[in-house]
Amino acid sequence: MKIRNGFVVRTVAGESVVIALKEASKNFNGVIRLNETGRFLWDRLESGCEEGELVAALLQEYDVAEDIAKNDVANFVEKLRGANILE
Amino acid sequence: MFYIKMADLTIAIDNRYGHIVDLCKDYIVEETVIPHMTARATEEEIDKEISLTTDRKVSRAYAESICVYRNICKRLPREFGAFLVHSAVIEYEGEAYAFAAASGTGKSTHISLWKKHFGDGVRVINGDKPIMRFKGDKLFAYGTPWCGKERYGENSSAPLKAFCFLERAETNSIRRATSSEAVSRMLSQILTPETLEELDALFPLLDRALSETPCYILGCNISEEAAEVAYRGMNTNK
Repeated sequence: MKIRNGFVVRTVAGESVVIALKEASKNFNGVIRLNETGRFLWDRLESGCEEGELVAALLQEYDVAEDIAKNDVANFVEKLRGANILE
Repeated sequence: MFYIKMADLTIAIDNRYGHIVDLCKDYIVEETVIPHMTARATEEEIDKEISLTTDRKVSRAYAESICVYRNICKRLPREFGAFLVHSAVIEYEGEAYAFAAASGTGKSTHISLWKKHFGDGVRVINGDKPIMRFKGDKLFAYGTPWCGKERYGENSSAPLKAFCFLERAETNSIRRATSSEAVSRMLSQILTPETLEELDALFPLLDRALSETPCYILGCNISEEAAEVAYRGMNTNK
């Protein structure tokens, strides 16, 4: 899984936001805000993590049950796919 | 070629058409040997602007003025620590208030309510496309020749007191915006960066502006009370 070229995340006033540059912005309008977990997962997606690795990372970082972590990751990935952010 | 001064910057404008000279008339200065920047719009940029403006017919001269300003504004963050915020800025009691909202919400209507309610002490710095720039430790709002179809604005500046995001409402109320509200609303009123360099010049400025300037959400109708509620909400210490 990989984040498409042109999508970058930045922190403004404590908020993580995803911005689309150049080509990427043609199919993407507006701004996606990431919560803390979203940012955590995004940073790992940038380094090329697969879904299973994301779940493992989440379990390691946060005190959360495995089925909830799996569900969170699946929802997050689906959201990014829906916004055409993942390759 | 002619020269203007805005936001304390001298800009040479290498124009093709006369419209932009007329638009900039209150900002024109003598020829400057070394301007801060030289701005122009290419024929291709003008063509593109015309083809993208589908809701109405625009002349090449008008399109040039839009393209030139966009080209200026793209360079402001990286080169001069300044940025455009699509908003209506007024000055009252020596301080500037920037009202931002989606087009058609009623920014112009709201600032005219301030004029009606508070009188001649209220001055419109820019009705549509002011420039924000840090001067020392303060963020200032600057008038520019590009100030919307009503041409509300003047060549002046004032320290920015607050950003106020407008929403239409039955009754008037104001509250502080949460940081996530402030960020998402602000990001929809800026010139979206197209390159990583533009992004990384602009975002630290926005971060600082939003961290240091109070942001409010004003639900307002079109009665004069809206101006009173806005003013009081942003001046709780007075």
